[in-house]
Amino acid sequence: MIARRDLAVRVAARTDLSPTCFRIALATPEPLTATPGQFGMVACGDGFDPLLRRAFSIAGVARRAGITSVELMVKEVGRGSALLRRACVGTELRLLGPLGNGFTLSPGDGGPLALVAGGIGLPPLLFAAEVLAGQGVAFDLYLGAATASELLDVERCRAATEAAGGKLVCATDDGSAGEAGVITGALERRLTAGRRYARALACGPDPMLRALARLARAHGLDAELSLEEPMGCGVGVCLGCVVELADGRMVPSCKEGPVFPAARLAARWSQ
Amino acid sequence: MATSVGAVALANPVMAASGTFGYGLDLIDLCPPERLGAVVSKGLSPQPRPGNPTPRIVETAAGMINAIGLQNVGVEAFCRDALPLLRERGAVVAVNVFGARMEEYLEVIARCERETGVAAYELNVSCPNVTAGGMEFGHDPALLETLTRRCREATGRPLWVKLSPNAPDLVATARAAVAGGADALTLINTVRAMAIDAAARRPVLANGCGGLSGPAVKPIALRMVWEVHRALPEVPLVGIGGVETGRDAAEFLLAGASAVQVGTAIFRDPAAPLRIVAELERFCEAQGIADVRELIGGLQWR
Repeated sequence: MIARRDLAVRVAARTDLSPTCFRIALATPEPLTATPGQFGMVACGDGFDPLLRRAFSIAGVARRAGITSVELMVKEVGRGSALLRRACVGTELRLLGPLGNGFTLSPGDGGPLALVAGGIGLPPLLFAAEVLAGQGVAFDLYLGAATASELLDVERCRAATEAAGGKLVCATDDGSAGEAGVITGALERRLTAGRRYARALACGPDPMLRALARLARAHGLDAELSLEEPMGCGVGVCLGCVVELADGRMVPSCKEGPVFPAARLAARWSQ
Repeated sequence: MATSVGAVALANPVMAASGTFGYGLDLIDLCPPERLGAVVSKGLSPQPRPGNPTPRIVETAAGMINAIGLQNVGVEAFCRDALPLLRERGAVVAVNVFGARMEEYLEVIARCERETGVAAYELNVSCPNVTAGGMEFGHDPALLETLTRRCREATGRPLWVKLSPNAPDLVATARAAVAGGADALTLINTVRAMAIDAAARRPVLANGCGGLSGPAVKPIALRMVWEVHRALPEVPLVGIGGVETGRDAAEFLLAGASAVQVGTAIFRDPAAPLRIVAELERFCEAQGIADVRELIGGLQWR
């Protein structure tokens, strides 16, 4: 397990990725490693509003000129993310991490990996894509969004996927880019046409993850889902982010997840 | 920084509150339990409890509302898995005891009586998030006195009762707990509260209501500690409610608490209790206070 630490980090860069999403790089005071799927809890301000930290999946860890920076992709949805969007370069924040588990990245029997990202669910899969490309593990990346302008960082997704000899498949709900419809539909069409994968790794909105769990069950495909339960503490003590497992246990997704094999989750995830 | 709550000696006046620190070992890398005055376990029942459906937590202005529903591993797993390691580390452990019925409180205590390394019991009679037990004991002075007395008969160890801010008459419940044999009182538990999603026209929490904690409740908690201290000046109190800084801790001591518990602040910063100890120490130095106990009940009126 990679040791978690509560670090004073500085905003090193921020770039808009879409009308609602942005990328933020946080320079850490010491080298740090993380595995795709892990997350960090960011204190977005120093007052009581917001009171709690916000959980963000790690999109990558870069080391340039001796400086380590943790990359996050954030969708502005409330006070915490709005504060991050307004934070000036150089602003000091606190980052507790890396937390939680990660995706299984080893190659498997039966084909390449299928990486499936919906909307702001992209960060752990972009991280996974770049790590897999570096290791020479084959994968296809399925990237979905509501509309063309919300397909995040397509160029970087394409570069990582092509480096690994895989395909980037895009889909939008409104058909404004890529295939029309949901991204799990694009995956389903390929599975039905005979495309085989060793494992699917996915992160995105709940309906997408449920659709993927159903698809995985129907096609006998192993799937790992990164869940986005609202988290209070991120370290397993508040029990706010519990997820029900197939064996009936309620486990904190911050500690036993956020990545769960679809088969371990309660039946409602794949119904 | 040493203080005591009745017979329980503490290296410093800062404890981790029940339900915010797991079973004492979850944050050993960020906040070693042996460096705190004490750690209070998650509320333990005789059998494991699954807790409430989600969503269970929601953030509000300077606070949060939770309706966890006392999810816990049960007293047996705690005694088997956590307590031996806490003992080994030298942590001072208070066991938070919960039951849906009076007999269940006694069962939890009976199981812990077989173990060494339990410094005190804290009776949870004030959880707003469960349908049976909990708050109903904390709201009825006669029932609370009986429950406390039966627990008192079951153990020679220090017995704390955690009071509800939702009780119709706080001082009456405090007196009842003391009459039943409580050695100390912890106050306050969370304040019954609600959040509503206007667009959906539904409560945010699956449970409908929950308990408010965090800085938003601190002024209420201070007032309640002060009221109970004034009514029962000889009874040791443990103050809890929105303690975020060493200065907050000092305020609770001045209102009459012998020690404080830190809860929601741990969710913001897992090392908060350690930081609060250091800040309280600096506060005392800056104020020329040689012994932190000088602060207890030291509130002055103009």
